[in-house]
Formats: sequence, structure tokens, C-alpha cells
Amino acid sequence: MKKPAAKKDEDAGEPVAKKQLQTKANVLLNSKNVDTKILKGFVQMLKDTPDNVQVGDVMNVLEVIFKNLIKRKSLDGAEKTPAKIRELYEETWLLLLENLLQDSESSVTIKVCMQLIKSEAKTPIAPNTSFPFYRIRRILDTLLNAEETPTTALVNYGKYCKNLDILDITLKQLLTLVPKGEFKDQPVKAINFLSLINLIDMGKSVLNGEEYFLETDKASTFNYKQNQKSLNKLWKAVMASSSGVDEKVHRQLLVVLLERVISHLDDPIQLTDFLMDSLHQFDGPIALLALQGIFTLMQKQNITYPDVYEKLYNMFYPRMFYNKYKARLFYLADIFLTSTHLPENLVAAFVKRLARLALQSPTEDAVIMIRFVCNLLLRHTGLQKLIKASGAADEISDPYDEKEPNPVKSEAINSSLWEISLLQKHAIPEVANAARFINSSLPIMEFDLAPLLDRKECNIFDDELQSKAKQFALNYERPGTLALPKNGSVTKYFELI
Amino acid sequence: MGAKNKKARSDAVYAKKTVKSSNPFDSSNDPSNKRAGNQNPFDVHVNKEKFQILGRICKHDRGMPGVSRAKALQKRAQTLGQQFAVKHKTNRFKDNRIGKHLSADQLTESVMNARYLAEKMSQVRQSQKSEKFNLNDDELLTHRGQTLEEIEQYRDERSDDEELDDERLDAEFTSAAHFGGDGDAPQDRQTAIEEMISEQKRRKNEIAKEKDEVYDLTEKLDANYKLLLPLVAKATKDEQEAKPPPDAYDKLLKEMIFEPRGSVTDKLINPEELAKQEAERLEKLEKERLRRMRADGEEDEEAEAAKPKHRSADDLDDGYFLAGGDEEADDTLAYDLDGNLGTHLNGKHNGKEGADNEDEENAEDEGDEEGDEDSDEDSDSEVDNLSDLKESDSESEAEETPQPSKKKATKSVDQSSTDVDTSIPFTIKMPKTYEDFTDLLSKHAAPQQATIVERIIKCNHPKLEGVNRENVVKLYSFLLQYIKDLFEDASEQDIRGNFQLFSKLMPHLYDLTQLNPERMSNTLLEVIKEKYGEFRKNHKTYPTLDTLIYFKLVANLYSTSDFRHPVVTPCFIFMQHILSRARVRTRQEISMGLFLTTVVLEFVSQSKRILPAVYNFLQGVVHMSIPKRDVEQIAITPPFEKDGPLSKLLALSSGKETKNLEAQALQATDLVTQTITPDFKVRALNTALQLTVDSLQLVEEHVGVCYLATPFLGLLSRLPLDLYPEHVHLNHKAATELVQRLGGQKMKPLAPAERKPKALRLLEPRFETVYDDKRRPKMSKAKEERAKLLHKIKREKKGAIREIRRDTAFVQELKLKQTLRSDKERQEKVKRIYQEASMQQGELNELARSKKKKKF
Repeated sequence: MKKPAAKKDEDAGEPVAKKQLQTKANVLLNSKNVDTKILKGFVQMLKDTPDNVQVGDVMNVLEVIFKNLIKRKSLDGAEKTPAKIRELYEETWLLLLENLLQDSESSVTIKVCMQLIKSEAKTPIAPNTSFPFYRIRRILDTLLNAEETPTTALVNYGKYCKNLDILDITLKQLLTLVPKGEFKDQPVKAINFLSLINLIDMGKSVLNGEEYFLETDKASTFNYKQNQKSLNKLWKAVMASSSGVDEKVHRQLLVVLLERVISHLDDPIQLTDFLMDSLHQFDGPIALLALQGIFTLMQKQNITYPDVYEKLYNMFYPRMFYNKYKARLFYLADIFLTSTHLPENLVAAFVKRLARLALQSPTEDAVIMIRFVCNLLLRHTGLQKLIKASGAADEISDPYDEKEPNPVKSEAINSSLWEISLLQKHAIPEVANAARFINSSLPIMEFDLAPLLDRKECNIFDDELQSKAKQFALNYERPGTLALPKNGSVTKYFELI
Repeated sequence: MGAKNKKARSDAVYAKKTVKSSNPFDSSNDPSNKRAGNQNPFDVHVNKEKFQILGRICKHDRGMPGVSRAKALQKRAQTLGQQFAVKHKTNRFKDNRIGKHLSADQLTESVMNARYLAEKMSQVRQSQKSEKFNLNDDELLTHRGQTLEEIEQYRDERSDDEELDDERLDAEFTSAAHFGGDGDAPQDRQTAIEEMISEQKRRKNEIAKEKDEVYDLTEKLDANYKLLLPLVAKATKDEQEAKPPPDAYDKLLKEMIFEPRGSVTDKLINPEELAKQEAERLEKLEKERLRRMRADGEEDEEAEAAKPKHRSADDLDDGYFLAGGDEEADDTLAYDLDGNLGTHLNGKHNGKEGADNEDEENAEDEGDEEGDEDSDEDSDSEVDNLSDLKESDSESEAEETPQPSKKKATKSVDQSSTDVDTSIPFTIKMPKTYEDFTDLLSKHAAPQQATIVERIIKCNHPKLEGVNRENVVKLYSFLLQYIKDLFEDASEQDIRGNFQLFSKLMPHLYDLTQLNPERMSNTLLEVIKEKYGEFRKNHKTYPTLDTLIYFKLVANLYSTSDFRHPVVTPCFIFMQHILSRARVRTRQEISMGLFLTTVVLEFVSQSKRILPAVYNFLQGVVHMSIPKRDVEQIAITPPFEKDGPLSKLLALSSGKETKNLEAQALQATDLVTQTITPDFKVRALNTALQLTVDSLQLVEEHVGVCYLATPFLGLLSRLPLDLYPEHVHLNHKAATELVQRLGGQKMKPLAPAERKPKALRLLEPRFETVYDDKRRPKMSKAKEERAKLLHKIKREKKGAIREIRRDTAFVQELKLKQTLRSDKERQEKVKRIYQEASMQQGELNELARSKKKKKF
């Protein structure tokens, strides 16, 4: 058996310790009878973790030792030595589960745990004959009961959940692990539980990947129907206990629902009420997520929701640029407004609002919104009168009422897109250039918003640095002091010298 | 044809004029007979026309068969007749007429040339016409059977005289041998000839021998010459060295020769010219700046304004149109009612004058400091000279700064600095490391530090030495680092001093950047990039003060009005990012935000562009100054909080002590202090109000400014003014008025720029030929052409056949004539023979009769 590859980037002192550990383990394994004392020493080391030894190394070494021992069936039998080894093995598990919640060690720990489970599944230890479900259950239990959401451990465990057999087992175990009592009383546990559900990804790519943790399980193919049933059951249990939860849990609930669950539910119509409530009671991200859920239902289940556009319209307000989910909002709005059969005054209201917001938003959002406005003008050719007034119109003040919550009544259709022309004066050339679309004839193709949605402010900064044309034009007036030769506003308002 | 007609007409006119026809029967004067002229009317044959067709020109309506037949006959006699005459004749007549009377030695070159030409011409005449213009005549010119080229090739110059006396006998010999010689030659002919031959041979041998010798010698000389060459060169050099030592006079002469004569200098420029040059330069730079300021494709505002309202499709777009509304803009010459000359001149000139004034001031400055400038700088390039023009010592500059409030403070410091300046060495080496640099600076007070930097720059000017190019870049990065150290952890005590130092360093930083804009800018850009990298890790907190100072540096050094600039644009993005994301919680952060706002205003002061985050920040400051009850919320964009304690950070609780505060600008210490004091609250709000006015006034001409202004309206109306001192009231009033004015802005609905209407496409008129002649089918153009040609061929063929027939007839006639003539000759001969024979017979008969008579 090969030893885990030595890490190269460790300090000079530690490789020695690691080597020592490895040679010790080799000696232990090479001797005919397992010396339980040395083994105990190892376990002790894991428990105490002396300063010169890395926990990860100890765990790796223990993994190798126990894997070999399990393979040799040294843990079977009622004699003293195997019993002793068994005892030590169980202790090791306990320690491993403790380590699981430490962010720095979780990846190694999960790996060690899963490797041990693998070897146990291959050669089951005496009393058991099958897959050590209880071990996975204990891992899940530990993750569930963590006091703070163990994000890294969850991510690492999520990698194993890509394997269909582990997915299967996890789902079954979770079913039994549903927390008793209402979620609102135990928010951390609720979030942990939801995060665990979030790991169950029965998406097409995973199912088509057909990866299995154990080769032997390949024979028994993944039963989607059955798993779907258990997922439904699980979700029912979740919904039952999730009433009156706080905002964070609610958000997590919606995220999990939308990302993982909703496409597998038998009867998603039942969720309508839940989503409607979420939409009406909250605003900001939760309402947005609920809206996405409703959108899915509208698409798949044909439900009708009368004032969805009004809701969507009111989700565009200045503070939304500081939400995590703004990309999702743009994406949704793009889909909602795809239809060319929408009334023009409604779309005009959206156009006006987007343009207005572009005047207040951070750079990258301004670009997105300008492009979006352009797309909307392309889709609804009637709206082009917002930039192409007919004949000699009189000067007016903007009839658009931004405070009106109903987009249809906002009079946007009688307005004009002066915001875009003001945006042409934006100091950042990218925005100014994007806003120039109203000057010439509109493009033929719509802009693809997808690449823009992922952009951050720093990307714009980097792009600007990338630009090759470097002409460092200097001020031609030599500043004698801090003040500019003329129009020096800093020195006007600050008494610095 | 036309010519003919013309001639005929003129003839007719002439005829009318001259001959008053005395005889009415004279046919020659018949005006109808135009063509025939004086010819016999009986000669003219008229072809009758069946139908008169209008517009048809008929060539063959009348002809003169007799005349033309005679002509044809004559022509045939000259051509065919000639040929017939010489038929079966073998000898030809050839006449070498050119110069045929001249004897052989009289034949000059010109005659020969004329002959050659004649020969050539006859050749050309014989051969095809196509060869007439053939320039690549491949005829080879020969001389004695050899082509001239060959002769050129083998020409041996040496054999020239040999040719002269070849085997030919010379004149002496021939005169002796051929014509018997003179009398005193007693020997017999045989011996004389032999002697002569032997003599001849001997001489020839001698000549040959001599020639060989000469040849050998020349060869030898040639060989020796090459050997000699180096020696010759050496000899001359030695000779030079061996020259006698120059005496005093020579020396003086030499010196005078080599002494540089007075170099050509620009003539002294008087101050006005200097000012004019400077004004021109500034104007050029300003033009360039304006060009950069515009985005590509963005039209010039003025041009847009000048656009005519209506554009016609026939418009040539040459910029010429009737001046409608802007008559007043022209400089028109006009007299007013009193008869005085009043010219409407526009503001342009005033501006120029102002610039002139400034330049004059600059010129004066230069005059002041010319004395202490190093002489080596005089030879600098123009750019440098110009920067030098404006350069002046920090002391004088500081005194000139137009801030009266600071004058007192700075003056006193400067006074002391001038005294200590002598302690600084005049040449300072470039420090190797940053530590050395800081050591060097730390020994001195702030004003001296600036002097040190200035001297380092002067000593390490790239013009002096190539290595310095690296040194100045290094110095620049040192300075940037030094600024960072100054401001990163500045405390309340030293912040003002640091700003003073920074202010002193500013001109030197500018000079450094001028030395190598690209390298320096890249250095600065690297620093900003690094700062941005730090900031993006946690964009909710403000960066350290040094970052803001770099922005200020950029504002001072670069042309910030450019539409896109490698340094300025990233700074814009950076500042927008800070202002829109970083949380505002302390006095320091509020001041930093306001500082950034002012820097942005400096950036956009000329380009008049907008950075939305600035307006948002100002709204935020006003918002924070409004005291709110807990449940109350006023909409405000992040990073400002709409509720909670942070939302009323600047709200005054009670206005007792703040009511009487003096108007005060924000202090340097505000940038480093955390706690918020009442006087700071007043200061911040006051500044924010002023900045609102400034920033909105800057962009007030743009369409849609109302969107920037209206959010202020609600906030401004809610400020509890009675807590604030008088100057805040004033500023608040100004701001409210401006915001109300801008908020009520009326705008024209957007419409695309009037396009030139598209002219209808002009098409060539398409004529279709309509044939009403039914007999001929319609044909394509090519076919028609072909048919025409075929018809022509047919007619030509007919004509040719007719000609041949007539030729044959002519020849037959000739033959017949000949036969008849020869028959006639023969008959006459026969007749004569018969005659003679009969005469003979008669005579015989007579004889016989007479004999018979005799017999009888």
C-alpha cells in the first residue's frame, strides 16, 4: 500500500516528524502481531496533537494503518488484540468526528473518514456484514449538530455526495435525522440541516455522470424514483417544521428549495402558498427568491399570478445593488420581460426605472442596465419612441413618476430616456460608451447579458489597465503647490496646509 | 464632308459677289450647279431620286462620269500600264542619284547619311507598313565583316600603331620600285629590291624589339608601383612630422582657425514675442486636450449647436449655410445711431488677453530667476526650456499662491528656510536605497527637503548622463513611497506638516513626470493597482489616506479631462468604487469621502463629466445631518444607512454652541480623527452644501441634470436650519435654489439627430430604339454590327470585282492595241515587200518586154 504523498511545502522540522511517523507505522504494520501499544500511541497523538506534529499527518498515518488492519481482518475476532484494536478504532472515529468541525482539518478528516468507510465496506468488520451506514449517519449527525455552520466540511462532504451511492445513503440517513421540533427554535440546526439537503444534487449532470464511491455498488443502479420519493418525504418534513422561521433560515430554505428540491417535487403546486407568503411578507432577497420559485411554477405548473410584474418592478430600487442576489434579479427580469406581448407602457416603466437606477448604481450595474434597456427597446419596437420623439416636441419635464408602485400607471410611455443621454457624460468611459447606443441606429442583435452579470467592479478596473493604448497625457500647467492652477476644489474646501 | 460643304458654300458666295452674271445662259454661273463649278453641264449626270427623304444626305445625286472615267484611265495607265510595259523585261534602271557627281574622297559624312536614309526609306516602303515605326531594328552594323560590338571587344590599344605599318609597302619604296627611282641608282633592279627587302625586315625587327622592351618595362613599372605605394604614404607622414615646430604666429593662426566662431543664436526674443509664443503653445495644448476630452464619435458641442435646423437632400454639407440665429455671434462691423463705429466683438479676445497677461507674469518670473539657474540647463531642448520657464524656486512660488488665508503661515516658515538653505550641499548624489533617501530627508525640515529633492533632480538630470534616466525613475518611486509613509499613519500633530511637505514636493513630482512620462506613470499606476488590490479585499472600509493623496497627485499631474486615460480612468473607477461601497461611520471616513468628492470635482472640472457616486455621497452627508426619530426612514442609497445610529451621525442635538461658529473649511486633522464633534458636524454639512452647489453647477448644462438634483430636494428641506450658524443658512439657500431650478428643468424629448434626407437615386435615361421598318427583324447589337459589316464586305467585294473587271478590260485594250499595232506593222512590211517584189517583177517584165521588143 502506498503512503499518502508527502507534502512538500511543510517546514523543515515537520517532514522529519512526518517521516518518523511513517517509519513507525511501517514498523507497526510489518511486524507480525500488531503492537497495540504503538497503535495506542498514535491514537493518543491524535488526541493530544503535540506541537511538532501536524494533525493531518497523524490522521493520514492512522488511515493507512487502519486500512491495512481492516484489510487483514485484524479487527475481527473475539481475542484480546482484535478487541483492543477495535476499541482503538472506535476511539479514532470519535476523534475524527471531533476534528471534522475544525475548518483547517475538515478536508483531510472527511477524506480519512470516507477512505475508512470504503475499506470497511469492502471488508466489513465482524458483526456487520454490509455497508457501514451508521458511520455516515454519525458524520451527518456531527455536521448537523455543529454549533456554527461548518461550511468547509460541508463543501468537502459535498464532493463525495456527487457519488450516487453516497447520495443515496445520505438522503436515507437525512430522512431519519430530521430535527425534532420547529425550526424557529433552533435556527443553527435548521441551517445546518438545510445545508445538508443542499448537498443532495440530483441534477442531470450528476445522474448522467454515474460515478460511484464503491465499485461494487455499480451493479445496483441508482433508483431515481425511490430517491425522489424520499426527497419528497424529506421536504414535507422540512416544510412541516418550518413555520415562522427567521429571515436567514427562510432565505436558506428558499435557496435549497430552488436549487435542489423544486424540480424533483411531485406536486410543487403545494408550495404556491409558501412562495406567495414569502413574496408578500418580505422584500429584498427573499422576495426575489420567492419570485424565482413562482416563476418556475408558472413555467412548469401553469399557475397564474396577476401582479408578478408589479412585484418585479418594485424589486428594482437603489438598495438592490448591494444585495447578493442582484445578478439573479437581472436574470429573472430578463426572462420575465422576454415576451414581446407585454403591454408597452409596462415595459416602458421598466425601461425608465432601469435607466434611473443606472444613474445611481455602481459601474458594472450601470453597464448591465444600459444594455438591458437597449435589449428591451429592441424587443419592443414601439418603445423606441422613448429615444426617437416624433416631430418638434415641446420641452417638458419628465412625466414619469418613479414613486408610483404600479408600473402601468407610471406614465413612463410618455417620457423620454434623458437618463441615458446624461449617462453619456459618465466619467467612466465604459459606461459612457455603452450609453451612446441611442445616438445611432440600434444594434440588430440583442446584447448577451450573461457575461456581464458576473462582472465585478474590479474587472472593469482590470480591463481598463489592460487597454493597450497608453498615452500618458500630462497636465500642461505645472502645479506650484497642492492646489491646481485653476478650479482647485480640494484646497477650496480643505484647509490642509 | 463639313469642310467640303463649307468650301462649296464659300464658293457660291464668292461667285455671287464677283460675277454678276452678264450672260443668263452661261451655265457655269448657274447657282444651282454648285458642285460642278465651271464645268460643262453636259458632263454632269444627275441621278434621279424617286422619293425626297427629309434629313438624308445623298452623296450620289450627281456625278461626272466622263471626268471620273478619265481619271481612272489615267491612273490605270500610270500603274497597270507601266507594269504592262515592263512586263517580261529583265533589266531594271537604278539611279544612285545622291551625290553621284562626287568622287570618292569628296563623299562626306552627310552624303553618306543621306544615302543610308534613302536606302532605309526604300526598304520601309517595300516592306510592310508595320515596320515603319519599329525602333528595335535588329540590323547589325558591320565594319569589314565584323560587327561593331566584336570589334569593340577585341580592340587592343597597343596595336594601334602596328596597324599603320603593316604589310603594305611604304611610299618611299613604291616610288623607288614602281616608277624606276631616281637616276643615281647604279645597281641593277634585282639587288636593289633585295636590299630594300632586307632593310625593310631589319627595321621591322627593330621596331618589334623596341616595342617588346617598352612592354616589359611598363609591366615592370606597374609591378613596382604597387610595392612602392605604402612607402610613399609613410614618407609623406614622416615628412609631416618632421615639420619645424610652429612658432607663436602659427599657433595664433591655428587657434584663430579652430576657434569656434560665434555660434548662431536665436535672436533675442523680446517679452511680447515670448508671451505670444507661450500663448500659442498653450492654445495648441488646450486644443489637444479638448480633442482628447471628447469620446470618439461624440460630436463637438459647438458644431452640434451650429447645426442648421433643416437639412435638405441637396445640401452639399460644405458647412455653408445661411446664418440664421447666430448673427450676433459674428464680428460685424456696424455703426450705431450716433455714427460711431461699434464692433460687436465676442469674448474670445478677452480670454486671449487674459492668457497673455499670465504669460507676461511668467516671463517676469523667468527674468527673476535666470540668474541662479545653472548654465548647463540653457542648452536644453525646447520642452525643457518651457518647463523651466515656469519653474521657480519653491519660496517664490509659495508666496505667489493665490490663497491669502495661508499666506501668513507659510511666509514665516519660508523666511527661516531661506536662511538655512546654505547648509544643504549643492550637489547631492542619488541615494542608493530608500533608507538612504529617508535618512537624507529626515535630517532636514520640510522646506529643505523639497530643496534637496530639487537638487537631486538637477544633479541627476537625464540630459547630463544616461544612467540618470534610471535614477530619476528611482527617485520618483522613492518619493511615492515617501508620500505613502507620510500619510499612511499620519497623526493629528504631523498631518498638516505632511501636507505642507507634499505641497512643496508637488512641482518636483511634476518635473519628474515630465522627464519620462511613460516610466513614471507606470510606476504610479503600479502603486494605484496595488492599492486597489488591497481595497478590493475588503471594499467596505476606506483605504488609507495615502491612497487619496495619490488621487490628488494624479489630479495635479495628469490631464484628467481626457475621455480615456491610462492613469486617470482607473482612478475614476477606484474612486467610484470607494464612494459607492465603503461604509461611512467616523469623522475620518466622512472627511475622506468629502476629500474624494473634491478630488473628483477637480478631475471633472474641465470635462464636466459626472460620477454618480459623488452626488450620492453628498446626499448621504446631508442625510446624516437630519435628525430622525427611530421609526422614521428617509430613502437613501447605500453605503449610507437608512436607519439606526449611523443614519444620524452628523445630526446636531442642540444648537447652542454651534450657532455662533465661524465659517471654516474642513481641516487636515479631520482626515485622521475618529470622533465627531459638533463643529465638525457643521463644517461637514457646510462643505457638503457648497460642494452640492459646485458639483451641480458644473454639469448644469447637461440634459437630465434634474435626475441628479431632485434627490437633494427632499433632503435639503428637512434640514433643521435653526441649529446652524448663518453661513450654513446662506449655503443652504443657494443649494436649495439651485436644486429647485435644476429639478424643474424642462427637456426636449430625445430625438435622433436630423439626418440628411436621402436623395433619390439618379438614373441614366434608358432609350429604346423603336424600328418601324417591318422588313428587318430586330437584332441584338452584336448581330446588327455583324450584319452591317457583312453588308459592307459585300459592297466592297462588288466594288473590287468591278475594279478588277475594268483593269482586265484596260489590259485587254492595251493588248489589243499592241496586237493591232504589230499587225499593222506586219501588213505594212508585207505591203512593202509586195511592192518591192512587184516592182522587181515589173522591172523584170519590162526587161523581158524590152528584150522581146528587141527581138521583134
